[in-house]
Amino acid sequence: MTNTPHAMIELKNVRKTFGEFIAVEDLSFSVAEGEIVALLGRTGAGKSTVLNLVMGTLRVDSGSIRVADADPYHDFRALRGRIAVSFQTDRLLPWRTAVENAELGLLILGVKKAEARRRALDWLARVKLTGAEDKYVHELSGGMRQRVSLARALAVDPKIIFLDESFSQLDHVTAKTLRTDFLRIAKEYGKTCLFVTHRIADAIEIADRALILTKGARIALLETITEESRNDAGALTALHDRIAAAMGGADDDDEEDDREAATP
Amino acid sequence: MTAGSVKTTSPPVPVASGMIGRPRKPANTEARRDLIATTIVVVVMIVAMQIASAYVPDYIMPAPLNVLESTKELLLNDKTHIFVTLARLAVAVVFSMFAGIIIGGIMGTVGALRPILRAVIIIDTGIPALSWMLVAVFWFRDAETRIFFILTVILLPFYALNVYEGIRALPRDFVDMVESFRPTRWQVLRYLIIPHIVPYIFLTTRSVIGYAIRMAVFAELVASAIGIGSRMSLAQSTFHIDRVFAWTFLLVILNFALQAGVGALEKIALKWRPEVEVR
Ligand SMILES: Nc1ncnc2c1ncn2[C@@H]1O[C@H](COP(=O)(O)OP(=O)(O)OP(=O)(O)O)[C@@H](O)[C@H]1O
Ligand SMILES: [Mg+2]
Repeated sequence: MTNTPHAMIELKNVRKTFGEFIAVEDLSFSVAEGEIVALLGRTGAGKSTVLNLVMGTLRVDSGSIRVADADPYHDFRALRGRIAVSFQTDRLLPWRTAVENAELGLLILGVKKAEARRRALDWLARVKLTGAEDKYVHELSGGMRQRVSLARALAVDPKIIFLDESFSQLDHVTAKTLRTDFLRIAKEYGKTCLFVTHRIADAIEIADRALILTKGARIALLETITEESRNDAGALTALHDRIAAAMGGADDDDEEDDREAATP
Repeated sequence: MTAGSVKTTSPPVPVASGMIGRPRKPANTEARRDLIATTIVVVVMIVAMQIASAYVPDYIMPAPLNVLESTKELLLNDKTHIFVTLARLAVAVVFSMFAGIIIGGIMGTVGALRPILRAVIIIDTGIPALSWMLVAVFWFRDAETRIFFILTVILLPFYALNVYEGIRALPRDFVDMVESFRPTRWQVLRYLIIPHIVPYIFLTTRSVIGYAIRMAVFAELVASAIGIGSRMSLAQSTFHIDRVFAWTFLLVILNFALQAGVGALEKIALKWRPEVEVR
């Protein structure tokens, strides 16, 4: 971590409690500019809470967070136009159509109406939603909604992207296309990305590093994932097993699923 | 006569947030059944009136045909009074709506003022409409001011309370999503809060409109020389019971028409809502 060019996201001794409950005990890590880091962990580990802290919707009890050299909670407006979030749930506004939802971020950022529409349509096409642009939210399937939500986040062309397992509700083929697309965009444009996932295979395929959290957002493992390990079946299996072990053993079903998806 | 009627006219239930977002669309057969039932009731009423009018003097129960005659006459000669009442109603409803949105909005966003505003509104809703009417006569000379005042103090709290409820029901998830783009306050209002409370405003309008027109007529009876209420008062004092019936008939029709009008507007404005089939 010392040789990273510039820390885009930096957490130092972050602690967050909800009443008596300690959601994040004492977390420190950083994400370099252009780096993609996967957050893994069983349900309730505190992944979404960490993401909420980093995006500035929650306030830390103690410790500090810097995102693009700003405090995401206190310097709320400083990150305008620089971050985008794809949430765990789609959070589409029901009174807006698919394209109207996709262009929301652009409109908030002050992009002209026609230009916002053009870019939103472009993104809907990229997530394979051509033909569904004018449908209202209740007319879309769960997977389609998730894709609109992703388009809404990516359309603002942010420097930093936060993703909360947006792919997990999609079918394998769509998830794979989106993953590839997402990876390409992130790499190509040098996006910094922190993304939450349950699926080990997703993490290995996309991330530069994987951060595995256990209860209280304690770091169980921090793995650097290299191209070599992705291409070497033996290393891949070993990596997968290390992550699964750190998570406290994946569910049998999940594991099989992950292996299948992980093998090239 | 007015005192008793005013007290027994119960105001609509102020808050029905459970209904928001889940409009009931009665199945076609249900709608048809309703229509048939209404027709039967109307026919029975007409027949009963016809029979009664044969046995009692005209000033107690007029024959249905006489009422129809009077209605035609009213529509021909008293159109202005209908328009006056409707205009008063429209002005008061629109004003109460906007003022209610502002007050409800302040209640929903400024924590410090909420208890005070809520206390004012709760007390206001507890004051009988008749008290407001009498007070208005003392306070204001001008008939239009009186009626505007009466209708506003009656209608405004419904809008304010429902808008407040609406803002409270705004999902936290939506707020976080919109805020992730770092919007201005105005943008939060424009993209999130206003569209979210539109259904609450329609719900309020739909539930108060019938009450509002009855109150408008009462207010006119107490405070004005023109409008449907004053005409009804005149008909009563000149023993034209057929006209009282005719006005009543027109008011019922007017109420239906207003409800249908608001319903149609709502359908257009809220076309994004899924139609829930309720079995
Ligand atoms: N607003 C809150 N109030 C109280 N407790 C909360 C709140 N948000 C989260 N928690 C608790 O903090 C813990 C971590 O929640 P979090 O949503 O971060 O988990 P997660 O790792 O994202 O889980 P999942 O994989 O199921 O999404 C949970 O035990 C949860 O009950
Ligand atoms: Mg979560």
